[in-house]
Amino acid sequence: MINITHINREEALRYLGGAGEPDGRMLALLDEAEAALLKAAKPKYLYRVTDLPCDWLSQGEDIKKHLADCDRAVVLCATLGAEADRLIRVSQISDMPRAVVIDALASAMTEQVCAQVDRLLAEQMEGCYFTYRFSPGYGDYPIELQREFLRFLDASRKIGLTVTESFLLTPAKSVTAVAGISGEPVPRGRRGCAVCSLRDTCAYRRKGSHCGFQNLT
Amino acid sequence: MIQKSGAKYDHSPETLNITSPELIASFHRAYIDAGADVVYTNTFGANSYKLGGSGHSVEEIVSAAVGIAKNAAGGAALVALDIGPVGMLCEPAGTMTFEQAYGFFKEQIEAGCDADLIVFETMTDLLELKAAILAAKENSDKPIIATMTFERDGRTFTGVSPAAFALTASGLGVDALGVNCSLGPDELEPVVAELTRYTDLPLVVKANAGLPDPNSNEYNILPDRFAECVEALLPYGVKIAGGCCGTTPGYISKLREMLADKRYTPSPRTADTSVCSASRVVEINAPRIIGERINPTGKKIFKQALVDNNIDYILSQALVQLKGGAELLDVNVGHPEIDEKSMMVRVVKAIQSVCDAPLQIDSTKPEVLDAGLRCYSGKPIVNSVNGEEKSLSEVLPLVKKYGAAVVGLTLDENGIPKTADGRFEIAKRIVERAEALGIDRRDVYIDCLTLTVSAEQEACRQTLEALHRVKTELGCKTVLGVSNISFGLPNRGLVNSTFLTMALEQGLDLPILNPNIEVMSGAVRAFRVLSGYDKNANDFVAAYNDAPPAQPAAKPQNGETDLSTAVYSGLKNEGAAATEKLLETEDAMAIVNEKLIPALDRVGADFENKKIFLPQLIQSANTAQACFEVIKKHLAKSGGAGVSKGKIILATVKGDIHDIGKNIVKTLLDNYGYTVIDLGRDVDPQLVVDTAVEQNITMVGLSALMTTTLKSMEDTITLIRQTKALQNPDGTSKVRVFVGGAVLTADYAMKIGADYYCRDAKESVDTAKLVFGE
Repeated sequence: MINITHINREEALRYLGGAGEPDGRMLALLDEAEAALLKAAKPKYLYRVTDLPCDWLSQGEDIKKHLADCDRAVVLCATLGAEADRLIRVSQISDMPRAVVIDALASAMTEQVCAQVDRLLAEQMEGCYFTYRFSPGYGDYPIELQREFLRFLDASRKIGLTVTESFLLTPAKSVTAVAGISGEPVPRGRRGCAVCSLRDTCAYRRKGSHCGFQNLT
Repeated sequence: MIQKSGAKYDHSPETLNITSPELIASFHRAYIDAGADVVYTNTFGANSYKLGGSGHSVEEIVSAAVGIAKNAAGGAALVALDIGPVGMLCEPAGTMTFEQAYGFFKEQIEAGCDADLIVFETMTDLLELKAAILAAKENSDKPIIATMTFERDGRTFTGVSPAAFALTASGLGVDALGVNCSLGPDELEPVVAELTRYTDLPLVVKANAGLPDPNSNEYNILPDRFAECVEALLPYGVKIAGGCCGTTPGYISKLREMLADKRYTPSPRTADTSVCSASRVVEINAPRIIGERINPTGKKIFKQALVDNNIDYILSQALVQLKGGAELLDVNVGHPEIDEKSMMVRVVKAIQSVCDAPLQIDSTKPEVLDAGLRCYSGKPIVNSVNGEEKSLSEVLPLVKKYGAAVVGLTLDENGIPKTADGRFEIAKRIVERAEALGIDRRDVYIDCLTLTVSAEQEACRQTLEALHRVKTELGCKTVLGVSNISFGLPNRGLVNSTFLTMALEQGLDLPILNPNIEVMSGAVRAFRVLSGYDKNANDFVAAYNDAPPAQPAAKPQNGETDLSTAVYSGLKNEGAAATEKLLETEDAMAIVNEKLIPALDRVGADFENKKIFLPQLIQSANTAQACFEVIKKHLAKSGGAGVSKGKIILATVKGDIHDIGKNIVKTLLDNYGYTVIDLGRDVDPQLVVDTAVEQNITMVGLSALMTTTLKSMEDTITLIRQTKALQNPDGTSKVRVFVGGAVLTADYAMKIGADYYCRDAKESVDTAKLVFGE
């Protein structure tokens, strides 16, 4: 089961502008926001293993490269649930600074949920090797596949995760991804700026930095 | 069954109705042979959204499925048209509108018109379910069963409680309701117990065979145990039992055996009259405050907010009333300068997206009530019907159709009767008419009307006497607006709170008042303690003991903070105080231009240089806004020019619901002194254009988060450029468009016809300065 008692503040602070060490005012905001979010968020996830090659899954060059050395793949999704979205929405009316802090913490928490799912998978499939997670929208991997991912996982029925007609996940603090599985050690694949569709506009990149995506395992 | 059979299908299991009809028929027969009285068609996801790309139409698949089931049943079992959720989330969590959801369901219902009954199952969103039920009611005369699916915490994925579901679905007129999927029957007792507390209807239990093992996919509750668990639930008024995931025909035959010697025992609801939103039920079993502040009558700022489409202002009024102690909110948006009907829909949706208090839809126009009731998620109150024939015949049918509660005013064609007897008679008439339509009298809340005591001293006693009689003789709940009593008197607060206490003692259930006036909400709290409603005074203590400690403020020794420091440190109160102080000696516009704006600029620069975080930038901006408010008030008093530096429309484009970036831009622009008309998210291009034309606005900001919604951004800009009313005589556009959003680039912004690309909120302010001049 997913169990998160602390949210990765370092990552959240990066989303909030990354201005070095937070002062007392920021810390107070973070404490309150973190407590509220941990109360509202109800992390849920699903995964399902499929054999490779798999036509619907392997659209575009980037994903083919990513899964090249694998004989199976695990398709997964995770969400913080509708209450987390609602908390952010309400805060935007009553307290905007709080809203942006909760929003950033929620993004960080979503990644933490995924990391826990990664660990869970590693335990369940001992002896297997995994690539990094790869999501619709990375590189040339079509965002339209969100819908197929959710259908494959029966996600709307099982965990209430759906996608809009413009392929936004709802609830918003959610992720879909696929990771390759192999019996042999495999390269974990490229992550970070190279496959990021925001690389041309990214404020971090312009300043020679990055959002942290690169360092995730 | 489909999973177990290993049947392969291309797109979705519903396509098997076309490719393997014999297989589906064999499943139906297996269940009927096991003793099923009703079979569900294989149409759970057969809506045009989910079937998109399957190569089959809804009509084709649904009618085939109904045909298969009918043939297989051969009259030995009823065939239920099975309908699951659309697969997209309704607003506000998603983008699907009520009308879209209604359209999907209507198509399925029409295609499946040969089935014997209609079943909505595995529902998780109350508004979506409401669209489904109304689509069935308005397009079919078949019986309706509605079941939702609850998680272990007793809520659906979207936070709907069993009580809210029971109240809403019963009100909308389904024939049975209950629970399916998600949990095993051993875990459903709390859910079923809560459902039965709030409905008289027969219940449906259609549980999973426990939980699937993640590896083998085998379920952990076997048929014997399954039947045993369902048996334990029968006393709650369960009439229809069945199985969901993992329940093979073996389970059904065990159920059949168990039910052979059982009879259905109805279980009437035990809860008092209640109203609800999707996630919160308010039972009217103690005095509850209805907040009166969402109403433009006599409120200049509120009227302006309506004209400006300033929904955020209305939302802040909602939130502040809840904080003050309101448990229900009255919503009235009647104003001659606006389209009341569309505004009611917008405001109801917006309030329901940020707070869970049940609402009281308040209008004198039946078409406004209808529109508000239709889009409301939950069971609302209608305000109001009265004893006039026209009102009775127009309003009560709406109350019945949408399953609402209603406020009945004790007045009629002849005005307000002077005596308690006269008002009681009208109340009686309203209740009789309501009951004739099938509205429960417990859902009629009578208002005996408060008159001004300074004009007619005796009137107060008459109101209270009528109230008492209605309560005790008619068995209705009572509602009363209290503040009218004191018009024309000094110390109105004292008169109001005394009258409120007297009315509560006479049996007032629902005082309508301004909860932000402490003496009023406090009187209700104290009354609840003294009358024994507030057990152990828990609520009272919580309201007065847990008051948050005063904000620690970093004040310099002399007790004053200078304006720049206050803005920089985000100290709202200190900023406002410093502004007032400065106004004593300095010109208002000089303060704005020489102190406020430079302080904000410094904060902006520090944010850009990564010296401070985004929330700190916003806190500073909010402080500046508090300072602007002080200056605005000062100017209004001295009759000077307004400080608005220009009007700007902001919108997150059609299809996009990620609006936090747009909202940050709004906060900053607001605080730099611009007037922002915020159209919200998922905004239709036409609304942007119409607003710009109506209000003669020449600056528009658009945001889009996803590559998939950039197209909407382009469409919006194109429409703006094409609109004649927004062009100069020479055909050039009057409107300056600035755009922003994670996936945009400056190049792309120019390509789609924008004038400016803004990387962040700070740049939006710079752009506004450029457009309107410093």
